[in-house]
Amino acid sequence: MLRVCSITLVAMITSAASAWAQGAGDANLAEAAKKEGRVVVYSTTDAASANPLLKDFAALYPGITVDYTDMNSTEVYSRFIAEVAAGTGTADVVWSAAMDLQLKLAADGNAAIYASSEIPSLPKWAVWENKAYGTTYEPITFVYNKRLVPPSDVPQDHAALLTLLTTKPDAYRGKITAYDPEKSVGYLFDNEDIKYFPQAWDLFRAFGKVGARLYPAAGIMMERVTSGEHTIAYGVFGSYALARSKKVPNLGIIMPKDYTLVMSRVAFVSAKAKNPNAARLFLDYLLSKRGQNVIANAADLYSLRDDVTGEATVAGVRALIGDKARPVAIDRELLANLDASKRLEFIKKWQAAMKGQ
Amino acid sequence: MTVESPAGAVPTLRVAIPFTFYRFVVIAVTAAVVLAPLSLVFYQSFLDAPFFQPAARLSLYAYRFVFADEDFWVAFGTTLLLASGMTLIAVPLGAGLAFLMVRTDVPGRNWLEPIILIPIFVSAVVLAFGYVVALGPVGILTTSMRELIGVAPWNLYSFPFLVAIAGLTHVPHVYLYAAAALRGLGSDVEEAARTAGAKPWRVALDVSLPMVLPAILFAAVLVFFLGFELFGLPLVLGDPQGVLVLSTYLFKLTNKLGVPSYQLMAVVVVAIVAITAPLVFVQRLLLREAQRYVSVRGKGVRLAALRLGAWRWAAFAAIALWFVFSVVLPLAGITLRSFVETWGEGIALSEVLTLDHYRELLDYPNVVRSMINTLGIGVIGGAAAVVFYTAIALAVHRWPSQWTRIIDYLVMLPRAMPGLVAGLALLWVFLFFKPITPLRQTLVSVWLAYTVVWLAYGMRLVSGTLLQVAPELEEAGRTTGASETRVKFDVTLPLIRAGMLASWLLIFLIFVREYSTGIYLLGPGTEVIGSLVISLWGTGAIDLVSALSVVNVGMIGIGLLIAIRLGVRLHG
Amino acid sequence: MVELAVTDLALRYGESEILKGVSVTLPAGKVVALLGPSVSGKTTLLRAVAGLETPYRGSIRIGDNVMFDAARKIELPAEARGLGLVFQSYALWPHRTVFENVAYGLKLRRVSAPDIKSRVERTLGQIGLAHLSDRYPHQLSGGQQQRVALARALIYEPAVILLDEPLSNLDAKLREEARAWLRALIVSLKLSALLVTHDQIEAMAIADHITLLNGGLIEQQGTPIDLYREPATLFAAEFMGNNNRLEGTLVENPDNKAVIEVMGDRLQGIARTSAPAGSKGTGIIRLEKVVLGGGPGPNRILMTLKTQMYIGERWELLFTKGELSVRAYTSALLKHERYHVEFPPQALWIF
Repeated sequence: MLRVCSITLVAMITSAASAWAQGAGDANLAEAAKKEGRVVVYSTTDAASANPLLKDFAALYPGITVDYTDMNSTEVYSRFIAEVAAGTGTADVVWSAAMDLQLKLAADGNAAIYASSEIPSLPKWAVWENKAYGTTYEPITFVYNKRLVPPSDVPQDHAALLTLLTTKPDAYRGKITAYDPEKSVGYLFDNEDIKYFPQAWDLFRAFGKVGARLYPAAGIMMERVTSGEHTIAYGVFGSYALARSKKVPNLGIIMPKDYTLVMSRVAFVSAKAKNPNAARLFLDYLLSKRGQNVIANAADLYSLRDDVTGEATVAGVRALIGDKARPVAIDRELLANLDASKRLEFIKKWQAAMKGQ
Repeated sequence: MTVESPAGAVPTLRVAIPFTFYRFVVIAVTAAVVLAPLSLVFYQSFLDAPFFQPAARLSLYAYRFVFADEDFWVAFGTTLLLASGMTLIAVPLGAGLAFLMVRTDVPGRNWLEPIILIPIFVSAVVLAFGYVVALGPVGILTTSMRELIGVAPWNLYSFPFLVAIAGLTHVPHVYLYAAAALRGLGSDVEEAARTAGAKPWRVALDVSLPMVLPAILFAAVLVFFLGFELFGLPLVLGDPQGVLVLSTYLFKLTNKLGVPSYQLMAVVVVAIVAITAPLVFVQRLLLREAQRYVSVRGKGVRLAALRLGAWRWAAFAAIALWFVFSVVLPLAGITLRSFVETWGEGIALSEVLTLDHYRELLDYPNVVRSMINTLGIGVIGGAAAVVFYTAIALAVHRWPSQWTRIIDYLVMLPRAMPGLVAGLALLWVFLFFKPITPLRQTLVSVWLAYTVVWLAYGMRLVSGTLLQVAPELEEAGRTTGASETRVKFDVTLPLIRAGMLASWLLIFLIFVREYSTGIYLLGPGTEVIGSLVISLWGTGAIDLVSALSVVNVGMIGIGLLIAIRLGVRLHG
Repeated sequence: MVELAVTDLALRYGESEILKGVSVTLPAGKVVALLGPSVSGKTTLLRAVAGLETPYRGSIRIGDNVMFDAARKIELPAEARGLGLVFQSYALWPHRTVFENVAYGLKLRRVSAPDIKSRVERTLGQIGLAHLSDRYPHQLSGGQQQRVALARALIYEPAVILLDEPLSNLDAKLREEARAWLRALIVSLKLSALLVTHDQIEAMAIADHITLLNGGLIEQQGTPIDLYREPATLFAAEFMGNNNRLEGTLVENPDNKAVIEVMGDRLQGIARTSAPAGSKGTGIIRLEKVVLGGGPGPNRILMTLKTQMYIGERWELLFTKGELSVRAYTSALLKHERYHVEFPPQALWIF
């Protein structure tokens, strides 16, 4: 009897606690958020892409101003931790594409525990301990110059790319470009490649042998491909590529058919948020069907909800590559990418590969 | 304090501030403002985690890591080479240009001067990208050349090219100093050489040049300094080929270990400062030499321009050539990029012209606000900065004391921090030094960041002007009864008004093109064009970057023209 | 033989005419001084001869060579004229030693190094500065710098040496010694020299001929004695020597014996004007010609002694009568208050 009682008591307390952690009804949240009046967001999503979201959010919740600052991932991280340490005002929501850094921040106790009301509609891999949330579903693609790469050469998957580079090294000497893992999110992607592609290191060595050029950002990779200075770019965010291809017709995009990595921009509500309710509201919005719709169809990003339609959605990706999408899971494994000695080892191996060894 | 003044003396105010007090206040403030960010960086270099985290412990790990990193030494060597090469190019060209403009009758010398300064106000990233469009592997000129003669015999991404571009775009810096020195030369020493039988060119080599050499060498040291700080150019032009300099190495180092490692960055900064200090020492020596050559007695005879004769147009052509390569090419590149949808191999430019990017720019959030902020920082911030620099320069002006040495070192130090680190360090100062924290989210913090980082440059501009005020003028003030403080306000300041205006113009140009220093201090409402450019760059919206840059350069150009119309003379 | 002949030189700066048609001749082996007040054009004339200024009319000839001829559009650049110029500021090159400063002219003329050494050393010896040849200009005194400037101009034995206010930067004592030394050096080296100065004593002491310039034109030319004893114009009279100026009215003016009435007294003097009686006249008399010690008489004015200033073995006296003030010299201190100040008629010029 006592056992049953205690179990029931525990269950009650647990559910009460979780109910408490949950947005206690969206209406109340919106009320409280309006009272706060603003939400400060640090983000790596550029202002132009975020603009449709901000406008829509403002339309939905007119009383809440979004203070949106876009920076690169290092700046977001540095600024956030310094401000938290100083105890001054900082972001209420941190939204960054650097998945590993975001998870570290969340795991270090910077993220508030909040069970968003949208959780049921989100894929399992996108929610971590109700602290950090994936908000997009961006495939990592190959991008190529349609005018300069003959259709027979266009690699449809990783193996084909490897074959291309080993059989036609001269045609592609100096024409390949990829992320520099030392300076960018490329590190994460390359390590995921190693998981799914047994010949990943052969591929990297092939890059080295044809003198691939490495860059820290996708933007410049695409620019060089569209100008023809390079012809194939490896590992470009599908979202950027899609947006660019609408303006530049000679930009081709391939989602590799053997597997396509999918990354997600991670957002969390800061534990020290000065506007906690507005922050939660904003996060909910990002994850909501309405917000995700904007993300897919106006913001040039990809949506991760099944119930959103459009090209830049889970369904859209599935239509192209079936079940070959491999989302990067938002879990503690990401932290392995921040291990200093592992990184140094990888970099050493990578640098050797870049010399063709 | 009551002192018996002799009859006839001006009754002194009881509350007059002795000038020496002012001097020490200035030293204290300057030291605080310079040493605050630097000492944080220095301290950070000895820790194993960010200094504000409780788990941080003292450790030499960062030093061991950096000094054991082969890349560091490679970057160090490359930077030395780059800085030296660039100095070797900029100095003779800048001095030669100054000579042509100041002492000869080269055509166009009345309107060329502002044009020569253009490279100073175009941001390096923009400039570099312009070169890529113009001279890159699939650049406009490159493809045309290939069509014409089958081969384009240059590689924009090579180290020599990087050095060349860096050198050529720093010619204006040397020009400013050399021109000022040449203008200060008395004409009689040159005429003496001519009457002794030396042709005008001999005169230039035997007399004019040696006498302005200290000033030129001073500029050389400054350019060498700036070589250490170069970031945009090596980033765009050097990275593709793996050319690493200290600032791009710093950039790499930031994320090498996964989480941003400030201690590693700090070590690099400490290394740069270690090189900086002896350079300042050298500069002081040179300045002392330079002062010996200032003609105190030369009659105010008009400097007759040396006649170049047949060489007039050749000289003009040489200047034009420099201008085309250093300014026209990259700016044309950027402008072109802003008007085309896409470019490169196989694209017929005429088919892809568009105004879309400018339209998009207007739609881009906060563009107008960032332009206003940028102008505000340039005009108002620039003025405030000049006041600040003048305050410091006045304090050390004609002060026969060892304390001036401290100011010389203090003033140079901030420039030893590459923009990346400077911005971060200043953020820390604002965050952790509570009294000024409220200013952090205003433009004041950005202004302070810029002012501190460009301290050396700005102060030197004002000091140069101060040196031209004859000591007798101030002494005359003292003998009529004015205290030293009053003399500075009533006599000295009005006399350097023109120089201060010129400094304001130059600081305006520099502030408006700044991009990395304020990055951690900016937020909604305080964004500036420079940071907008970087943000756009990150997403690959190079077309918008180009459009924005063209607008930016246009804005600055107009500002420059207005200033010159209003009578701001770029020379004292 | 004329070493330097300047003919009808005219020069303008923008709108203002600095030289309005000046002709000067410098005979070989002589010293000619260009004398005048500040804006007389004397320095401009010197610089034009040197080739540092360009006239728009006239000609300049040195020996048989034409340096400049406006009509024939000939203009030799400064470095080709082979002249020596000593600047008022000395214009020594601060970054070169004394030796190097002096040697420069020879270096340009490609004289061999050993020759340069010997000639420079000899020249430095001539001016007494051999022991300073390794010093830098800022380590020398004003007088020493001036001598180095001179040596630098002489070393290549120019046809004509030009000197721009060579002594004005020296202090008074040094100036007196220097002018003697300078003249002696020029004469002993048999140089032809053109000298610019505003100091009439300097001009008289050093020069064989003086050209007095005023407002871009020649006021008078002649030997020092000519200029001093026979000034042709009021300006010339006043410029030379120390003078008293007596303003009055011409009473009568028969040939060469003018009389002016000054404050009620009539003074007779040498006529230097042909103005009719009744017009204004100015009497000029050198201080040292004023005589004291007599009682009332002709050409005397009763005046009150105001001040006596001891100037070393002499007193300079100041007399006044109403608005009129007259200075004179005496060798002994005067005791009284009123004196009859005499203006001997042969020493009084009336303009």
